[in-house]
Amino acid sequence: MNAISVENIRKEFALSSTGSPSYGTVKDLFAGAWNRKGEKRKFVALDDISFEVAPGQAMGLIGNNGAGKSTLLRIISRILRPTSGRVRLEGRVASLLEVGAGFHPELTGRENVFLSGSMMGMKRREIIGKMDQITDFAGIGSFFDQPVRFYSTGMYMRLAFAVAAHIDTEILLLDEVLAVGDAAFQQQCIERVRAVGRNGQSVILVSHNMTTLVQLCSDALLLDGGRMSYFGAASEAAARYLKIAEARQGERSYTEAGSAPQDRVVRLRSLRTRSREGATLAAISIADEFGIEIEFEVLEGGVALMPSVIIRNEWSAVLWTTDTSSEWHGRPRPAGRYKCVAWIPAHLLSAGTMRVSASIHSFHPWTVHLEANDIVLFHALECAGGARGQFAGYIGGGIRPLLDWSVEHDT
Amino acid sequence: MRVFDATGTPLIEELAEYRQYVDLFRFLTLRDIRLRYRQTLLGVAWAIVQPLLPMVIFAVIFSRFLRPETGGIPYPLYLLTGLTLWTVVASSILAGSTAFISNYSLLNKVYFPRAILPMATVAACAFDGLIAWAVAMAVTCYYGYFPSWWWFLLPAVALWIVVLATAATLLAASLTVAFRDMKNVIPFLVQIWMYSTPVLYPASLIPRPLRLLAGANPMAGPLEAFRACLFHSTPDWRVIAESGLSLVVLIAVAISVYRSVEAHLAERA
Repeated sequence: MNAISVENIRKEFALSSTGSPSYGTVKDLFAGAWNRKGEKRKFVALDDISFEVAPGQAMGLIGNNGAGKSTLLRIISRILRPTSGRVRLEGRVASLLEVGAGFHPELTGRENVFLSGSMMGMKRREIIGKMDQITDFAGIGSFFDQPVRFYSTGMYMRLAFAVAAHIDTEILLLDEVLAVGDAAFQQQCIERVRAVGRNGQSVILVSHNMTTLVQLCSDALLLDGGRMSYFGAASEAAARYLKIAEARQGERSYTEAGSAPQDRVVRLRSLRTRSREGATLAAISIADEFGIEIEFEVLEGGVALMPSVIIRNEWSAVLWTTDTSSEWHGRPRPAGRYKCVAWIPAHLLSAGTMRVSASIHSFHPWTVHLEANDIVLFHALECAGGARGQFAGYIGGGIRPLLDWSVEHDT
Repeated sequence: MRVFDATGTPLIEELAEYRQYVDLFRFLTLRDIRLRYRQTLLGVAWAIVQPLLPMVIFAVIFSRFLRPETGGIPYPLYLLTGLTLWTVVASSILAGSTAFISNYSLLNKVYFPRAILPMATVAACAFDGLIAWAVAMAVTCYYGYFPSWWWFLLPAVALWIVVLATAATLLAASLTVAFRDMKNVIPFLVQIWMYSTPVLYPASLIPRPLRLLAGANPMAGPLEAFRACLFHSTPDWRVIAESGLSLVVLIAVAISVYRSVEAHLAERA
């Protein structure tokens, strides 16, 4: 008997003509009576998904953003209803799609623990039984009986994680929780997922962090554009995922006329992440040096153009903004093609999915010639021998430089 | 073993499921009650003020200009009894009609039987109603209408009101998901409903042909029964029976609208 069996799941979302999820107004109801033109377009988020998870098994769920991972988790946790196909579950399910779901700022920490816990399917008695563990884990002392709106962000997260870490159901669905938790919670989660075999619990884990995923999961399902691309050994799925990523990501070039971001003066030709040898890279080990290359064509010479590249991490935090070619500062550029590469040193980035934006400006007067946001995506992958050392848990911070430490020791 | 597919859970199974979520229902109700009275000056006294304030206003206006014939019952008392019941229904609908759309982030992150949200709002309003009810009973005694055996029927009236409020709120919340402008329409509908119900005036004021339709209003029955219990008048059993039937129809409509909306709640709310 399987803990989870998913059979031929298909999920369509209706899109209105504007492309947003559809909801009506009373006006539409009357308008629809004589105007059937506004036909709804459909978006297929998942198609023909089938897999099984045995009791005690941990399965990874891999795919690019928009591949359907969250939709699949929502269907298994019953938040969304499949368009066709079915899900069979054996045992209680807790889905951790968001930590702190159901928290209300005006309620005290204790009241929120009850509310949030019962939303995740815990009984009142279970929550009371675990209250001491939860308060210990949260470690927020006397604030526990204060309204949550007086909490610092850190305290809020600790309390939310404390509830989440004590859920005790047969089936646990985790969506990227390893990416946002603090170190203690990360460790707890990892321990928890490791313990599933012993307790006969089943876990589905979504993560962009292939290293952790391969460590924790025996099997993995790779989704690509809503379809099953691979289902089998986690290491194989991870390897294939990185290949998909390479095929799609790492480069954006504008070959067709009219599609490129441009103005009268300059047109963007391409943006990509590359190696010294010139190969486009979509996945980069954080232990390796790589380049970000911007190529543009100056259509009208004589303007002192300043191309710049912005890197954001997966929480949309700007890691840095860089002007790619300092020797051209304030120098009018003659017409022609330019290719500029900024070399990013090894051991600077932290692991995760990064997004690159390009823009070209000029001064006097300040002019934005073009701006293309998040056009290239690349994955910075965890590696051995970096600043991480032997530590396996979550490491905070937007970058993770390998620093030169000096240590003085007295006895 | 549980199975989820495109058709959703059968009604019987879904109803059975609510038993597992009694604790959540309780915490949501407590949340609503706590949030309403925390950091307010009057606190729980608001529960009494809510029907009392309109009573004073209507009593001043109507007893001056309209002088309604209430069969010997003091008009302010007549008003208070009507408003006590009506306030539970009206405030449930007004507070609960946005129960789904204002909890979108929750509905999209956690599964629980969705109707628990509006049900908890109704429960919190019913808690207020209970306080107001106690005050109304005291005022009734003050006017010289003392407890009788009829008072044993009052729990049935209370149950009727809670069931009615739940069905109407569930319907309002579901319609608000399907049509966003219902949020603006519902307050007007609630007003119209109040004026077409003998809350402010006696049923005898209704023109005879329209009076035949009184039973189509599921609110007419509990009002008639409530006043009969308190003022020892003879109830109009025909209106109560018809009104009960209307309630059954309302429940059926509310459940079927809710279930059709529930299928895509996390996508549309």
